[in-house]
Amino acid sequence: MTIMRINVGPIHPSTHGVLKLVVDVDGDRIENITPKIGFLHRGVEKLMETRSYMQNPVYTEKLDYIAPLAWDELYVSAVEVALGKEVKEAAQYARVILLEFQRIASHLLWLGTFANDLGQLFTSFMWAFRERDIVIRFLEDISGSRMFYVNMRVGGLDKQLPADFRERAYGIADYIEEKVLQYPDMLDSNSVFMERTRGVGIITRDNAIGLGVAGPVLRASGVEEDVRKSAPYYIYDKISFRTPVRSEGDSYARYRIRYEEIIESINIIRQALDSMPDGDMTGLPLKLIGPAAKPETVVVSRELPRGEGLIYMVPDKQKPYRVSLRSPAFINLAALSHAAKGLKFADLFAVLGSLDVVMAEIDR
Amino acid sequence: MEHEQDERLPNAEEEMTRIMEEASKKYKVENNVMFAKLSDVIGHMSKDVVKWSREKSLWPMQFGLACCAMEMMAFGSPRIDGERKGYLMFRGTPRQCDVMIVAGWVTKSMIPRIKRLYEQMPDPKYVIAYGECATSGGPWWESYNIIQGIDQVIPVDVYAIGCPPKPENLFAAFIKLQDKIGGRSAGDTKRTLSPGMWKH
Repeated sequence: MTIMRINVGPIHPSTHGVLKLVVDVDGDRIENITPKIGFLHRGVEKLMETRSYMQNPVYTEKLDYIAPLAWDELYVSAVEVALGKEVKEAAQYARVILLEFQRIASHLLWLGTFANDLGQLFTSFMWAFRERDIVIRFLEDISGSRMFYVNMRVGGLDKQLPADFRERAYGIADYIEEKVLQYPDMLDSNSVFMERTRGVGIITRDNAIGLGVAGPVLRASGVEEDVRKSAPYYIYDKISFRTPVRSEGDSYARYRIRYEEIIESINIIRQALDSMPDGDMTGLPLKLIGPAAKPETVVVSRELPRGEGLIYMVPDKQKPYRVSLRSPAFINLAALSHAAKGLKFADLFAVLGSLDVVMAEIDR
Repeated sequence: MEHEQDERLPNAEEEMTRIMEEASKKYKVENNVMFAKLSDVIGHMSKDVVKWSREKSLWPMQFGLACCAMEMMAFGSPRIDGERKGYLMFRGTPRQCDVMIVAGWVTKSMIPRIKRLYEQMPDPKYVIAYGECATSGGPWWESYNIIQGIDQVIPVDVYAIGCPPKPENLFAAFIKLQDKIGGRSAGDTKRTLSPGMWKH
């Protein structure tokens, strides 16, 4: 058979941003995939060198626009390490709660768009966005913006949380749990969903480790790795939660991991709310002077919704001298050609969807 | 059951009849020149009807560039639900679309592709620049790889401001676009959103 080369993208109706895939097909079977990236490149790392410390969260948030708060927090903690500042205790609890809410919102958006990729299972999109909107509006009431919150400050948050925060957070956790528990009825008992995910797009354990994939994709391949467990930050060591792991490594396993992570996040939120102390949680003002001593390299890693994100920063007096970002989505995208090789062409976007890539974070 | 009519959404049939009647009043037909003028009347009448139907059935193109695409998706989600006002018929191909929503920053490598998409859309076509980046470059205005606004490449009809604009803003942008197509001044006070919408 002759090999045919198909260009997919960079603009396509799928919901994964501007990604171009050069696909070699033999008949209907995928022989090879070469992702072409860079269509959203805007030079974030360079731009961050020209801005002061607390101007930069505006850039880091837009790296992963599905979970902006996660990157925001990661960058601010790098600044905290550089300046040697501790986070106030109440703020640690607040951050964990907000981050877990952000994780829920991110996974819900993924769930909605993933089912959409599998062939217009539009009910899933509607359900997931219904729940996501509740979370987004909650975060909006706290920070003032629907998507880009920018409410992390060095040492805490920008202001105290509203008085009804605890009550509303409990209510939303209950609501989301009730609704999310209905999802398996819609997806796991749907034969279209099951046939298009089960046994499709397998990443073996060896491949996953060899490619260095991160987050839910890694855990779906049977590797138990979670920064919240292996190097606990904030109050994660005081909270009992489990890291969902599955051994199949297919699209279905990745769906189950993210689904169970939503449940675990609700669990974490409840525990953090139970033990959250009252107290001051406001951080330092935006105008910051960098470390007085000789700059030392700062490396901070966090468990983002898409996997382990890492910031390498060389601090300077007024602004960072150099910032380098390790994006989990970039590494997960590399696994695509391994996962989709030998599948039918129609499964390409089903597998890409299950990897949960965000192009803005990949292109930077 | 008696259904209360939304002021913004008149009955299609009534609207059509009204336009026909107004047009026939406007272009009075003399008896002796009936056959000569009939084509004019039909021409004028159909012009209004075409304008009306263009205004009422906008089909946006389904393509997102960056962050603003998330809010564009929220525009179709249950709470906002653009479909209830007839804006949401997102199509995957430019050949079936009237409106292009540029949602996100435009890099230099995307310019030729967006131009090509715009050229593939059939006339008449409209463009909404959605968000700061598509309007002016946004926070990336200093970047070496970003153009400062999509209006440097293709003509823009409506700008929606915000980073990202709320989905309600996209509603407002669509209403302004309808005003523009319908020949009314943009931001006509009669055509603001119904107050109940903001409560949810």
